[in-house]
Amino acid sequence: MEEKFDVIIVGGGIAGLSAAMTLARGNAKILLIERGTFCGAKNVSGGVLWGNDLAKLVPEYWNEEGGFERFVNHRRLTFMDEQSAFSVDFKSSHFDDVPYTGVTVLRAIFDEWLAGKVQLAIEASAYPDESFLATDILVDEVLSENGKIVGIRAGEERFFADSVILAEGVNNLLTRQIGLEKEYVPVDHMAIGIKEVLRLDKAKLEDRFQLRGRSGLTNEFVGFCSDGVEGGGFLYTNRDSISLGLVLGLKDLKQSGKTPYDILNTFKAHPSVADMIYGSETVEYSAHAVSTGDIRSLPSELYADGVLIAGEAAHLLLNAGKAIQGMDFAMRSGILAGETVLEAKKANDFSSEMLKNYRLALENSYVLKDMRTFQDAVHLLHQPEMFGPIPNMICDFGRQFFSISGEPTPKASKMMHAAIKRNASYWDLVKLGIKGARAL
Amino acid sequence: MNFCVCIKQVPDVQASVQTGRMVLNAYDASAVEEALVINANNADSIDLILIGPSSATETIRKALAMGATNATHIVVDEIAALDSFAVSNLLAAHLKGHKYDVILTGKQSQDSDAGLAGGMLAELLGLPFATNAVGMRAVENILEVTRQGDTGQEMLEMITPCLVTCSNDMNNPRIPSLKGIMGAKRTVITTTQGAPGITRTVVTRTFPPSAREAGIKFEGEPEEIVALLLDKLQAEAGVL
Amino acid sequence: MSSILVILSVQDGRVKRSSLEALSRASALGKAEKREVIGVVLHSNALSLAIDAVHYGATKVFCVSNRIFDSHLNPPLIAGIASVVELVKPRLVVAASTESVKDIIGALAIRMDAAALPDVASFEISGDHVLCERPVMAAKMMASTQSSNPLVFVSLRSGSYEAIRSESETSCEIVEVPFEFDVSTLSATLREIVTTTGEAVDLTEAKVVVAAGRGVKDATGKALIDELASITGAAIGASRAVVETGLFPATAQIGQTGKVVSPELYFAIGISGAIQHVAGMSNSRIIVAINKDADAPIFDVATYGLVGDCFKILPILNAELKKILS
Ligand SMILES: Cc1cc2nc3c(=O)[nH]c(=O)nc-3n(C[C@H](O)[C@H](O)[C@H](O)COP(=O)(O)OP(=O)(O)OC[C@H]3O[C@@H](n4cnc5c(N)ncnc54)[C@H](O)[C@@H]3O)c2cc1C
Ligand SMILES: Cc1cc2nc3c(=O)[nH]c(=O)nc-3n(C[C@H](O)[C@H](O)[C@H](O)COP(=O)(O)OP(=O)(O)OC[C@H]3O[C@@H](n4cnc5c(N)ncnc54)[C@H](O)[C@@H]3O)c2cc1C
Ligand SMILES: Nc1ncnc2c1ncn2[C@@H]1O[C@H](COP(=O)(O)O)[C@@H](O)[C@H]1O
Repeated sequence: MEEKFDVIIVGGGIAGLSAAMTLARGNAKILLIERGTFCGAKNVSGGVLWGNDLAKLVPEYWNEEGGFERFVNHRRLTFMDEQSAFSVDFKSSHFDDVPYTGVTVLRAIFDEWLAGKVQLAIEASAYPDESFLATDILVDEVLSENGKIVGIRAGEERFFADSVILAEGVNNLLTRQIGLEKEYVPVDHMAIGIKEVLRLDKAKLEDRFQLRGRSGLTNEFVGFCSDGVEGGGFLYTNRDSISLGLVLGLKDLKQSGKTPYDILNTFKAHPSVADMIYGSETVEYSAHAVSTGDIRSLPSELYADGVLIAGEAAHLLLNAGKAIQGMDFAMRSGILAGETVLEAKKANDFSSEMLKNYRLALENSYVLKDMRTFQDAVHLLHQPEMFGPIPNMICDFGRQFFSISGEPTPKASKMMHAAIKRNASYWDLVKLGIKGARAL
Repeated sequence: MNFCVCIKQVPDVQASVQTGRMVLNAYDASAVEEALVINANNADSIDLILIGPSSATETIRKALAMGATNATHIVVDEIAALDSFAVSNLLAAHLKGHKYDVILTGKQSQDSDAGLAGGMLAELLGLPFATNAVGMRAVENILEVTRQGDTGQEMLEMITPCLVTCSNDMNNPRIPSLKGIMGAKRTVITTTQGAPGITRTVVTRTFPPSAREAGIKFEGEPEEIVALLLDKLQAEAGVL
Repeated sequence: MSSILVILSVQDGRVKRSSLEALSRASALGKAEKREVIGVVLHSNALSLAIDAVHYGATKVFCVSNRIFDSHLNPPLIAGIASVVELVKPRLVVAASTESVKDIIGALAIRMDAAALPDVASFEISGDHVLCERPVMAAKMMASTQSSNPLVFVSLRSGSYEAIRSESETSCEIVEVPFEFDVSTLSATLREIVTTTGEAVDLTEAKVVVAAGRGVKDATGKALIDELASITGAAIGASRAVVETGLFPATAQIGQTGKVVSPELYFAIGISGAIQHVAGMSNSRIIVAINKDADAPIFDVATYGLVGDCFKILPILNAELKKILS
């Protein structure tokens, strides 16, 4: 007789591991399958894990050596034109308190660390020898019987379970295979994220960015960084490296005919960025698709008979300008999927009627609430004005405001007026301003 | 053939970000694979032995998941402090009490790149041995070994019992199946405490090698860049 | 003071250059430390080969002549070296890091109660210690390693020191060492050695190496490599990936698993530059890389990098080189 699991989880990213942790703690018999040689091996994305769900999964994680890189106590938003950078900068010792509200992570390290915690939870559970974290295995197919999902196939092997959680990330082939999402995702629902990890001597890094202990900086960029393409840039500090990258709208990128790599190089050469990264050595380069976080891109449903979709496989992600929130959404949705399966197990009912609770829980959590609230902000961010005229205008104003030239100095409002005139029309701005006020 | 394969857990030298991740020595993975291939059609056993910290069980499970039969874990805290001499003495002390047709080791450890333990162990056990094997075949009690020598491949016939150190050019180690992973978790690993090792060499310091001077990269039409290269080779490099 | 013994490996009827490098280094140490430097040749024709050593600083060469050394089997080699070590009682035994030496150094160390420092990039004697630096972690790091054992075996990576020939007539004593080996004790027999044919230049000794990678795809690519090698008088090397395709012999493999080379000029063609490959060639003086991927890691170690298709670049390079070199 084939052994049967309570739940099979496909994908050992943040969503899958969070679900597994919740389920192991609830004494479920689980099989988690990850195609990378270890959890995090294939995962080069990520930067800042926002929110405090991590503290729920791994209490007092901040006392540990491993896991995260730095906690965020210094945030900066930078508007750039070709030569200048105008930043809004916020630093607060308020952020020093635990649980932290944001930590930077390198996925190859973080995911494997989290997997280790899940392994410990399995060992402490009722099924220490019958639950598995299996890596280096690709799930080829989701198996169904009479319209209900019953298991998976990996190569020649088939395994069965009362329920399956798909946490396969943005390339959600299995989610599409079972028909919850159309085979082809519209191109404007997708963006591409590219990222480099730049190694820098730890003492230098801490000195350069004014870091103490494990405190860290996040810097988001709009404007020249994306070379006219819809999108933005980011720079995050890790322990002894910097994560630097861009998220670019796929449709706009295609139309521009530019390559992400060239845009990244332009970004790196900008004086304000070059000053931050000089002397560092690129140790990793990667590119990965990422959802735009548009609520219209959600799968037709997040559950069906015997199956739940969690994390970016369900396009749960928010990119409303302040930051990308994909990992915290993955974590919370993984936890909620796990909790739903535990309830279902208690009731011994894995029908869609029962699993609907997952959707309800998501609707009641910040995940879907924020995606709905900031839907308009997401759209606003995709306006072409956001990548050229507005950052240019802000920098133009900055240049006037901060220049002392030995000539009579106009009032700031006059400088603003001049900047606007040179970079955008009033009418466009008013339109955008109204939209913006509504969106946020 | 009854095999004993000596396996080691080593840092992942390939990881682009220093993750501190530990993996099965690639040469040892090839040794396990070769034993599995030779025993594919019989019930002879393939035992594993590993000296390492308790966290190294993960690596033992990986090799068990490939299909090995049993495993012994000799627990020592600081594997990095042991040299090949200490390791082979610990291995020999254990293996003296066992009878195997063939003992396999990797050609070298991926971290220390020493390549000594196999030959040392063979000498300690008084066994004939061959190193750097790229092929192996069992014919009754004879093991045919192909090894990579200085000028070509050498074919040896070895009477068992014997010891062979394996190159990763021998095969491509299989990736464990889900069933293998599940079975491995249930295999009981015999654990013993390792005696303190006596070493003959000490590493006093490790440091990055002196970096090569940054080079020049030419991009453009083939004719153009070839001309630029030849200029450099003749003028600066003085090698032509 | 006890001496330094240098094992002189023979290939193609002469002492290998890498052994002479080891001997040169040993004689430099010997001079500084006032230690005698003794060579040993194990070969059916050892006497006639010993003469090579005279010009590189050995004051005595032991010749162990026996037909059995003609086919590579480790028991006689171990026994032969052991008998000379018994006789000489050296402080240090040095050999070039050839496959045959790597084969026996571990077993020899055990038999002679010695310590072994394999594959070193440099070595010296300091007081009671033998110190060395050796690459570890696929040459990503160097490790200073030492031993205070009274007898130490060192194997030396080729190209680490220069082989310095002196023309002056130094007196050198050639000593024949009788050696018998009872063949009936052998439990391993060598059936045959498949030597790769047509290897004009020994890879580990070559001044120029042309190395091919998976980018060299097929017979057309191989012909271009062969042509470049013949124009430049180079030995041909290869990456593991292209050896796996069967296009190049396994003896040509360069890297952590394969050979270590350190030529004056190294061409890396269609090779990505994985650390395990670079481990075997990063000591080359000048590295020329041809790769169509501008981000290939090989460019991090290359002195000169050409970004482009090797099928387009090589015909032009070959033609131009032919003009220059003829
Ligand atoms: C450049 C970039 C920067 C980003 N920055 C941030 C940031 O700063 N903050 C933030 O919160 N988010 C960020 N994101 C988004 C975030 O990384 C993702 O939203 C998040 O990783 C989603 O987690 P997940 O667990 O759903 O999916 P993933 O992390 O993608 O995990 C899915 C896992 O499933 C495995 N898998 C897939 N298919 C199969 C299969 N068939 N069989 C077995 N295994 C399978 C994969 O190997 C993978 O490990 C960024 C993304 C990119 C690309
Ligand atoms: C334990 C261990 C030991 C190893 N030992 C060795 C070793 O000793 N030696 C070794 O070499 N490897 C070794 N490897 C393997 C190593 O990791 C790499 O897999 C191998 O070196 C890759 O070979 P490659 O660069 O030829 O192939 P690939 O990585 O496939 O690279 C091919 C390159 O060719 C380029 N290319 C393709 N077409 C063209 C064209 N038309 N023109 C120009 N360029 C082109 C591509 O851009 C690419 O960069 C070892 C691995 C392990 C795990
Ligand atoms: N800690 C260990 N436990 C078991 N086998 C080992 C260990 N260290 C080395 N070996 C074996 O010795 C081989 C490498 O020898 P060396 O390069 O001298 O360390 C490895 O491939 C293993 O087969």
